[in-house]
Amino acid sequence: MSESAPRPAEQFADFAQQGEVAQLGMFVFIATEVLFFGGLVFTYYIYRHLYGAEFAIAGRDAKLMLGAINAAILLTSSLTMVLAIEAAAADRQRAILRWLALTVALGFLFLGVKGWEYVTDYRDHVVPAVNFLMKPGYGGPAELFWVFYFIATGIHAIHLTIGIGAVLAMMRFARRGRFTPVYYAPLEVVGLYWSFVDCVWLFLFPALYLLGRS
Amino acid sequence: MSAARYLVAWAVMLLLLGLSIWSAFLRIGPWQPVAQFGIAVTQAAIVFIVFMRLPGRPSLKWVFAGAGFFWLIFLYGISMADYLTRSGLPKG
Repeated sequence: MSESAPRPAEQFADFAQQGEVAQLGMFVFIATEVLFFGGLVFTYYIYRHLYGAEFAIAGRDAKLMLGAINAAILLTSSLTMVLAIEAAAADRQRAILRWLALTVALGFLFLGVKGWEYVTDYRDHVVPAVNFLMKPGYGGPAELFWVFYFIATGIHAIHLTIGIGAVLAMMRFARRGRFTPVYYAPLEVVGLYWSFVDCVWLFLFPALYLLGRS
Repeated sequence: MSAARYLVAWAVMLLLLGLSIWSAFLRIGPWQPVAQFGIAVTQAAIVFIVFMRLPGRPSLKWVFAGAGFFWLIFLYGISMADYLTRSGLPKG
């Protein structure tokens, strides 16, 4: 039974239709994520507008270099992810695995840099409620900046961790030869999620790392 | 051919990232977040169109992908209607 020719799920006419529906489903999920992160970013800008001076002083302590490196890492991982999808469309099985492995590696690299950044943040006494030292010239809203920083980057890191798990699952599928040029929807859908998580960082980076530099 | 397309998009993204960082050191006051948010929107558009491959079947993808941003207009619009009119209230 299991060795018979693969067939689309019974509610679909063919694999093409099944793949298209899967993509639309992921875009619906992404719409909810857009509203979730959109609300967070909006709230941040409201507070930044209300407490401009304090946010500028607090934001100066964010590690610009580490944030920028991570932005470049994520941008590159979106490239490797889409190249894995293209490889599936062209039936280049080994290339799928190679690009996916690179994507996972970049994901872990991002988390590693982020983890190191959290360590340095702790040493700098900018972790609200845990280890926060009010520096001269700081007001209470400066702590608020760091609350936003940890909520936003923390939730983003959780999303990325889920993404890494999903890409690892795709590598398992690929190793079993589950992706053909006719049907590689799971890979495509995971790619959409991965690129969206990259997108979120594009908004978090200028909000959290580029304050008070001029 | 499409691989080249992705590479170009990636290079443009890195260039925009550099531009965003550079803008942080300019003395342009309130225009700084505006410029940086604008760059982020441009980058996000590139991600959605190129890396998430919006052009192509099914074309209904545009509607599904745009839905979240469409509702975001209401979220931002109605919230701003509140914040922008608060200063008009009598103080105390």
